[in-house]
Amino acid sequence: MSSPLENLETQLEMFIENVRQIRIIVSDFQPQGQSVLNQKIQSLVTGLQEVDKLKAQVHDIHVPTEVFDYIDQGRNPQLYTKDCIDKALAKNEEVKGKIDSYKRFKSHLLSELSKTFPNEIAKYKAIRGGE
Amino acid sequence: MMSDQFRKVEPYSPKSSPRGARSPVVSRQDSSGTLKTTISLGKNPSIVHSGPFYLMKEPPGECELTGATNLMAYYGLEHSYSKFNGKKLKESLSSFLPNLPGIVDGPGQEDNSTLASVIAKRPIGGKELLPLTSSQLAGFRLHPGPLPEQYRYISATPPKRHKSKHKKHKHKDGAPPGQDTPLQDSSNPDTYEKKHKKQKRHDDDKERKKRKKEKKRKKQKHSPEHGGLTPNQHPVP
Repeated sequence: MSSPLENLETQLEMFIENVRQIRIIVSDFQPQGQSVLNQKIQSLVTGLQEVDKLKAQVHDIHVPTEVFDYIDQGRNPQLYTKDCIDKALAKNEEVKGKIDSYKRFKSHLLSELSKTFPNEIAKYKAIRGGE
Repeated sequence: MMSDQFRKVEPYSPKSSPRGARSPVVSRQDSSGTLKTTISLGKNPSIVHSGPFYLMKEPPGECELTGATNLMAYYGLEHSYSKFNGKKLKESLSSFLPNLPGIVDGPGQEDNSTLASVIAKRPIGGKELLPLTSSQLAGFRLHPGPLPEQYRYISATPPKRHKSKHKKHKHKDGAPPGQDTPLQDSSNPDTYEKKHKKQKRHDDDKERKKRKKEKKRKKQKHSPEHGGLTPNQHPVP
């Protein structure tokens, strides 16, 4: 059993193929081609019906609207995914850097404070549970 | 005079001090230690004796997932990461949709076929899709012959780079082969001119080479190996 997205993809490909064939028929139309054209037009309607049926199966799939901008500009939408991954990785590294820096700062501050205020820091550590 | 007794509360007067209930003037030296207590209300009211420290709060709860974790690995996206960063992605849309016929790499604004316009101006929907009746189909009765000139550019297809991939879908329903690119034939005057020009250039190149060869031969006649002397090499008497 193929996934709903695969089903939709197949249906859309078939629909596009149908349109392509209609384009070929009408680009140099022959009188005997009328019945074939009529058949093709009917299959366009059937194709649209099939796509419409699949609507319910993919209603929970969300697509970021930014992807549409890439497609509208004739760019590969996978570049959007790549950009997102790059951004997420950069942010992840940045936050990790901040967390590590704060941890180092905390331990350094505690060690320096314990030199100047040994009693207070001992009490503080006792409250904090040896942090 | 009575009204003076009741001072009106100014609307902009702060209802509470920004420093809390404590007055900044009053000394807060508390030897008893009773003030060093945090009372928190809400769902889980609690009294925490914070000991000798003022303003000490409970540290934020430990979060399982933070930015310190490698989130790419946590969510199992390493494969996607290596897939997109390993090789250079092709920029064009046609590289993503190689099976799509026609020119798809141009900006959609050119022919008003943007996806954004579909969102901005939603198409009419909600109606049942029904097959066309014979009278409706009569509207699609066409005249025999090729398309008028102004509509032909639409049917021009880009050069196929993924021939083997496209073959799969080609002429599936028995469409006549060889009609896909009806405009890319030699009868086109532009292509003919191009070919002719190319031939001309080729002839020009031949002539140029010939002339070059002759020049070289002449030069060699005057070169020292052939007994010829340059002005600097004349023997001193």
